[in-house]
Amino acid sequence: MADTENGSNLTQFKNGIFADNPVLVQLLGMCPMLAITNTLKNALVMGAAATFVVVMSNLTTSLLRRMIQPHVRILCFTLTIATFVTLADLFLKAYMYEVSKQLGAFVPLIIVNCMIICRAEVVAIKSGVGRSLADALGIGVGFTAALAILGIIREVMGSGSLLGVALFPKAMIETHAWVIMVLPPGAFLTLGVVIGVVNHLRAKRAEGGA
Amino acid sequence: MTKFVKESWLVLLMGIVFATMLAGAQNSLSDRIRENQIQALNAAIAEVVPNTAATEQMEIGGRSVYKCLDADGAHVGWAIDASGPGFVDRIRVVAGLDAEAQKIIGVRVIENVETPGLGNKIQDPEWVGQYDALDATREISVQKRPPVAGANEIQAITGATWSSVYVTDIVNAIINEIRPELGRR
Repeated sequence: MADTENGSNLTQFKNGIFADNPVLVQLLGMCPMLAITNTLKNALVMGAAATFVVVMSNLTTSLLRRMIQPHVRILCFTLTIATFVTLADLFLKAYMYEVSKQLGAFVPLIIVNCMIICRAEVVAIKSGVGRSLADALGIGVGFTAALAILGIIREVMGSGSLLGVALFPKAMIETHAWVIMVLPPGAFLTLGVVIGVVNHLRAKRAEGGA
Repeated sequence: MTKFVKESWLVLLMGIVFATMLAGAQNSLSDRIRENQIQALNAAIAEVVPNTAATEQMEIGGRSVYKCLDADGAHVGWAIDASGPGFVDRIRVVAGLDAEAQKIIGVRVIENVETPGLGNKIQDPEWVGQYDALDATREISVQKRPPVAGANEIQAITGATWSSVYVTDIVNAIINEIRPELGRR
């Protein structure tokens, strides 16, 4: 994991997207990753909801960091996260009813996304508001980007469309779409390949730097 | 006691503040959420029984049935709100029958959490449109090949046969249990 103690807020933000990408590098948040990346739209809404929660959780934790007793900190994190997840869920149900029906239980399940509690524990509990915010935004963007990459690959290969718009003639989609890409195994296969590519690029970069 | 207070006041305070926030959000959004649900139901009824201007709600066999009237008060059809088990969780369907309860006008899936991108294609107008104009006096069967005209059948979604069967089961339950009652109303 990249150093979280030093460096500017901008570096902190960038780390969340590249060096410390929660999905592709830290392998956190796998449950929503595998479940809802079968279309790009689902991936984007899930990314936005998780970003909102990680930002609010990091802000709250950072503001209260001097008052939180060390041995009850996990309880405080969980309370905070559960509150903002419920708010996000209510908001989606009120203003994006169709999408909220699609995501079903996976929005409430952001509560148990370890990526969010990890940021509270690793950064927000010992950093100022600015750094915590930069970190949360970086992680949120990194999470959303990773979900979007998977969402694009799986929707194009599995449904022959992107954001619900068909990319190929209908007859071709019906006979050639890879149904498996829409199903959970497709998520594992795509994730494996994408992580492989990311690791290859990182290894290459490390060699070049040395 | 003082140790208890010293170590837990923040957790207690957070509990109170967060609970208040959630209560406020629930309070201000619940009307809108309920309205969304009612609107989704009304929109579905308007689609499965066109020209519906007013509905009379009744309960038949534990299901909500809506007698649909047009702007002149003429009886244009029946809308039945029914749910049943799905592949993942319960599926909720609104089916429209004509006024004589002889034909299906249309079917809409208004709630489902079937596999996104696969089973949840049951909500696509293109798929669910297969029920349009089918005979409501006998059971509908699910086939893996394109339906034969006049055979009262539909084609299952590739890779989601079970979701297709479950929707058809709900429609067949309406045909078997609700339809015979409609003639007497």
